[in-house]
Amino acid sequence: MATTKLGFVVQRPPYKSENPKLALTHAIASQSVEIYLEDGDLVTADIAFVGDGVLNCKKDQKALETYGLSSTESHIKMSLLLDLNVLVCKEDLEKFGMTENDIVIDAEEFGAEVEVKVVPFDEISKMMEEMNHLLFF
Amino acid sequence: MKLVAFVSDYRMSVDTLDRLKPEKLGIILVQNGVYHATTKENGNPSSLLNYSADYFVLQEDLETRGYTSSDVDGKVKVISLGDVVDLIFNDYEKTAWL
Amino acid sequence: MGKLTIGCFASLIGSMNLDFAVKLSGAALEKGHKVDLWVSGNATMLSIEKQREFKDYSSLEKPLKELMEKGLKVTACEACAEARGYHKENTMEGVQRFSMDWYLASTFDADRVLHIGGE
Repeated sequence: MATTKLGFVVQRPPYKSENPKLALTHAIASQSVEIYLEDGDLVTADIAFVGDGVLNCKKDQKALETYGLSSTESHIKMSLLLDLNVLVCKEDLEKFGMTENDIVIDAEEFGAEVEVKVVPFDEISKMMEEMNHLLFF
Repeated sequence: MKLVAFVSDYRMSVDTLDRLKPEKLGIILVQNGVYHATTKENGNPSSLLNYSADYFVLQEDLETRGYTSSDVDGKVKVISLGDVVDLIFNDYEKTAWL
Repeated sequence: MGKLTIGCFASLIGSMNLDFAVKLSGAALEKGHKVDLWVSGNATMLSIEKQREFKDYSSLEKPLKELMEKGLKVTACEACAEARGYHKENTMEGVQRFSMDWYLASTFDADRVLHIGGE
């Protein structure tokens, strides 16, 4: 039995590029990876939003209404529903004059029990140290 | 953490490299990242060369853009793709494409 | 010898990231490593057969086939491909199509992962 830990680091804003959303959909895919692995083996995904990437977390996104696309916000909520560890850099939020009130924090409406954690970059660094592999988006 | 970062742009749109503090950092300049090794602006080398890191530049991406080893900053080692593979496997634990 | 998993998300045309990924795959295979190449997002363009060669555009079908003969495993994200109208019928022989969890599974026993994002 072994676990491989992946750290998904999102550095760019949403929508112009597909990449931030692909970070989330790939991280969410960690929930079904067992079909390829031996019993007991796992791949886990932690997600960190840093730099301009914190803008992905802005709440009240209307991508579905405007472009008919599922929003990055909804993917973050899905990540919470699946108990993924989602970190947002505190310093970068502050740089944009944003607070926890401006971003997705929970997905109570879906029944998610975990919440987004707004943390100093040092904690994100620590997470990156703990991962086996890093994927920057 | 021993991290090797690939830089493929001359103008970086992310500042992640400024904030990573790995125990050992390697920077491999590929694609348009090679200009960091070859180009001075107003007489000054690229600020990307100021990190405490080991620097490498991919020879074929240099040559593609009209440069040779003699154009490369003394801090930067010119390497082949085979050398990139060896660095990834032997000298660093994690990679980052920035 | 080790295993390298490369994920690439950039387009075949309009970016050189896939060229780099394929060349690096070849260099790693030459050194005796196993290599898995995952293409997702716009990079699924790589999986389409019968690409016509022009000198002004990247053309990777030939080198990719040669590397697959040497053991390179190439897998395209099925949803990303379908969303772009790339179907099983026009997928290059030897290229697999799976969902995103395949990429994560490939990282499980990889010694190194190089994730090359899109642009």
